[in-house]
Amino acid sequence: MKHSATRRKLAAASSAAALAALTLSGCAPASGNDDVVTLDFFQFKPEAVGNFEEIIADFEAANPDIDVVQNHVPDADTAIRTLLVKNKTPDVLTLNANGNYGLLAEACVFADLTDMASAQTVLPAVQDIVQELGSCDGSEVNALPFANNASGIIYNKDIFEEYGAEVPGTWDELVALADMFEANGVTPFYTTLKDGWTVSPAFVNLGGALQPEGFYDALRQDETSFSAEYEEAMEMVSKLFSYGQENSPSRDYNAGNAAFANGESAMYLQGSYAIPPIRAANPDANIGTFPYPATDSPQDTVVVSGVDVGISIGRDTEHPEEARRFVEFMMSPDIVARYSEAQSTFSPLSESPSNTDPALEGLAPYFESGRIIGFIDHQIPPSLPLPAYLQEFVLSGNTENFLARMDNEWDKIAERTITREEARS
Amino acid sequence: MSVPTLSRPAKKLPRAFYIMVLPAFALFLIFHTVPVLTGIYYSFTNYAGYGEWSFIGLSNYINLFRDERILNAYGFTFLFAIVSTIAVNIIALSVAMALNSRIKFKTGFRGIFFIPNILSILIVGYVFNYLFSNSVPAIAEALGINALTSSILASGDTAWIGVVILSVWQAAAFNIIIYLAGLQTIPGELYEAASLDGASPWQQFSSITFPLIGAFFTINMVLSLKNFLQVFDQIISLTGGGPGTSTESISVLIYRGGFQGGEYGYQTANAVIYLFVIIAISFIQLRILQRREASF
Repeated sequence: MKHSATRRKLAAASSAAALAALTLSGCAPASGNDDVVTLDFFQFKPEAVGNFEEIIADFEAANPDIDVVQNHVPDADTAIRTLLVKNKTPDVLTLNANGNYGLLAEACVFADLTDMASAQTVLPAVQDIVQELGSCDGSEVNALPFANNASGIIYNKDIFEEYGAEVPGTWDELVALADMFEANGVTPFYTTLKDGWTVSPAFVNLGGALQPEGFYDALRQDETSFSAEYEEAMEMVSKLFSYGQENSPSRDYNAGNAAFANGESAMYLQGSYAIPPIRAANPDANIGTFPYPATDSPQDTVVVSGVDVGISIGRDTEHPEEARRFVEFMMSPDIVARYSEAQSTFSPLSESPSNTDPALEGLAPYFESGRIIGFIDHQIPPSLPLPAYLQEFVLSGNTENFLARMDNEWDKIAERTITREEARS
Repeated sequence: MSVPTLSRPAKKLPRAFYIMVLPAFALFLIFHTVPVLTGIYYSFTNYAGYGEWSFIGLSNYINLFRDERILNAYGFTFLFAIVSTIAVNIIALSVAMALNSRIKFKTGFRGIFFIPNILSILIVGYVFNYLFSNSVPAIAEALGINALTSSILASGDTAWIGVVILSVWQAAAFNIIIYLAGLQTIPGELYEAASLDGASPWQQFSSITFPLIGAFFTINMVLSLKNFLQVFDQIISLTGGGPGTSTESISVLIYRGGFQGGEYGYQTANAVIYLFVIIAISFIQLRILQRREASF
């Protein structure tokens, strides 16, 4: 105990020192002992600081010539941008692989990791999700996926058992199931329309599964439109939300987690990230998951997954060799597995044993066989208020209006961005 | 002890005055004027808030006028500001007159009516949010009032009413104080004389009270319209601009698009235009209302 307290104190002291070093780096070579290289490790997840501390301790024990310092700041997205603007890229960093990561990768601030040994162990479908967000020159591997989340329908196993319900494999079965619950006076889905973004999980799953291949590339080339391709998916989203409880417009995400945890509905349209808050509201909640069956052929069903944590190396790091050793260590199967167990995530590695959390069982097989797609909303620029439009859409049920607004807003933003690019060249 | 001397030839005023003004002037320049000028500068660029940027001339301004999201925000903001300005002035004047008459616990009431002004709008907003979403529907259900059983914030057609209620409730306090100050400038003899002549309370109000507080009325109208046009906290805490984008005011849009949407330069252009719109409106309003004052 005493040992761990000292270690924590040391870690705190060294991370303070590293912050100072961060501002000085570039002016001076690694300070102190010539044999020990100090790596700046930028880590964005506040809830995982402890997990990474353990990983670092193990790594340092095996590599006495490298000292890894974990830097964690609130609001990592802003912090990393500020560091990058000042050309102070950390040696090794973790980021959520979202639209923001894509923009940074395209700006070529991360090193190419294509030839790393661990890059070969990643599930190709997961790496594709990262690549789709953007990369330097459009071909490099700028981040290795470390942990994944997944979007799926969460269900209450007790209620399913009570009514003898089976997990639906097709869209029609899902609708029939919802009808059956409704007929029996059970709310099929607890919906929380006060928070517009809670419509997004259904949208990304159905939209992502039903859109044609390369839709967003075509959209960027102005060759297609939301109106042309998204009608069916939006009708289905609308259908699912019509099964919500009556006071949905005045209920938010937190209320929804608590209500679902306490058995107020049979199913819940959310993702793996909602499992911890549901368990916090009711530790005995007997919950399971299954993917959105978007079509009538179960073999086409896919799971929407995002890379929760991606690992990158700064392009201009002074210690590329050490940084790569550290990344290889983090990407080793048992470290990845240990982390995913601790944080209820999925392992992106083909060899890593799958997460044994019973609530994730329904989604895990899709991972292992690579039947996953990325979050389509990562392709939509943040200046388009998608959650607000989705919220309005579900409240009004007007598909045509929603699609027209999406197209219109997309075009305007594209026009503004094109102006930007023309000005740059 | 020597004070640094200014090289200019000495004016009539003692130097101490200039030295005392200097820090305030410097602070104003650094924290107000410089940011405004920087903002105007960035409105001609495609700056995203980070990273590279370049000059794009007037295209931000041109695009603004083609963006119906911005036009909708203007529509909502003006509707909201006009309704709230009228409502807050009617309520504040009525309450001020009641508080100015001979009632018991006058000072106590004045204190109570001032409380909304000293509370943070954000905190009050979250309280109102809870009331609108949970308490009001529950009460309405118990009383069997069907029209109110669903939260007014949950519908795009009625959410703005919730914003008006909170804003008026909060802003009335300050306006009451100004009206109270105005009412106390009216000599009591005027009312005595009027009642001896047999003037009804309404005649007393329209012929004595209202004309004599004209200047206070003007300042309240101008200040409340200006404040309501900048509505931000109320919306963030009550609706977040929703449902959909139905209560997205211009300030909220500037914040959303500029800081969260990565269109810093574009929304800065929006802000620059809005700055001039507010200045122009306040100026026109002041001119019209002051002319009315003078006619009495």
